[in-house]
Amino acid sequence: MKVTFTLVLSTIIFLGALTICHAEAKPVGIVKSLENSASIKRKEDVLTAKTGMAVWMGDEISTGPMGSIGIIFIDDTVLSMGPKSRFIISELLFDPVEGKLSFVGKIIRGTIVFLSGQTARLAPDSVRLETPAGMVGVRGTHVLVKVEE
Amino acid sequence: MRFRPLLLVILVLSLQAMGCAKKNLVVLIPDPDGSVGRITVSNKAGRVEIDTPYQATRLADKDTVPGTPFAMEKKEVTSTFSHALRIQPTPPVHFILYFETGSENLVPESRELLPTILDAVKERKSVSISVIGHADTAGNREYNLGLSRRRAQAITRILLEKGIDQDRIDTTSHGEENLLIKTEDNVVEPKNRRVEVIVR
Repeated sequence: MKVTFTLVLSTIIFLGALTICHAEAKPVGIVKSLENSASIKRKEDVLTAKTGMAVWMGDEISTGPMGSIGIIFIDDTVLSMGPKSRFIISELLFDPVEGKLSFVGKIIRGTIVFLSGQTARLAPDSVRLETPAGMVGVRGTHVLVKVEE
Repeated sequence: MRFRPLLLVILVLSLQAMGCAKKNLVVLIPDPDGSVGRITVSNKAGRVEIDTPYQATRLADKDTVPGTPFAMEKKEVTSTFSHALRIQPTPPVHFILYFETGSENLVPESRELLPTILDAVKERKSVSISVIGHADTAGNREYNLGLSRRRAQAITRILLEKGIDQDRIDTTSHGEENLLIKTEDNVVEPKNRRVEVIVR
């Protein structure tokens, strides 16, 4: 009887923990357009990008030699990348109720077009793009960045 | 014959090792609606600000001051960023829906907006839709939050009834944190009591 009770309790706690973990990790955007090849590196996995696929904070998005990709984020930011480009979603918090607002991207290489969304409007100092040579503070705007290799 | 590939590899690696500095180019262009924003471009060595469209700055490296902003030809911008610009998705479209006081029923004008929302979903072959309930700052915060949540759920039910895939819809409530009309605390403002539908 005691064993059963412990088992049931453990299962409930475990499932509860899973739910909490799952609730924390939410997608922050979606792949909306795609041409040829692009991939998403998520922790140790490398996934082939597909239209309709969710993107998560921490994702590293890469386009192939002829690839290009367009992504729409939960705060309306529109990101598009040309060929041979690489972008990391370093931080994306969009929770106006909790006052958590930030968008930090890291451009490793290539051509990036960044059309900022609501985060820039609600928290102008919280949107920035890091490049190898500097940082772009984005205050509600349409920015194009090219990083040569 | 067998040694050639090795020579090629060494040659290519050397070129890379010569460390062509990663030059960065940053350009500000108008938003799709014509408005123009503002950017600051900075590193340890300095900072420039740009708030005029088609102004650009070049950065040589992280220890060199960002270059003085210069005007870039629209043609050159379009050609440098051609692929990224071509693949750029249409920005999301927002719809605002209003309700009869204290109820989950849409006012007539908002009910008439529903076909437009469905058209937008179809036109864009939408991959993602958000339905967000909002409240004003008046009255009981908990009540407002609950009502805004129920209203959002009512709209989602309508979308599901019209055949939209449940996986594509995300339903939430932002309470009074994202006001359409900025007001003080405890102000009745019907324009803030809305459900927002975002179609991507």
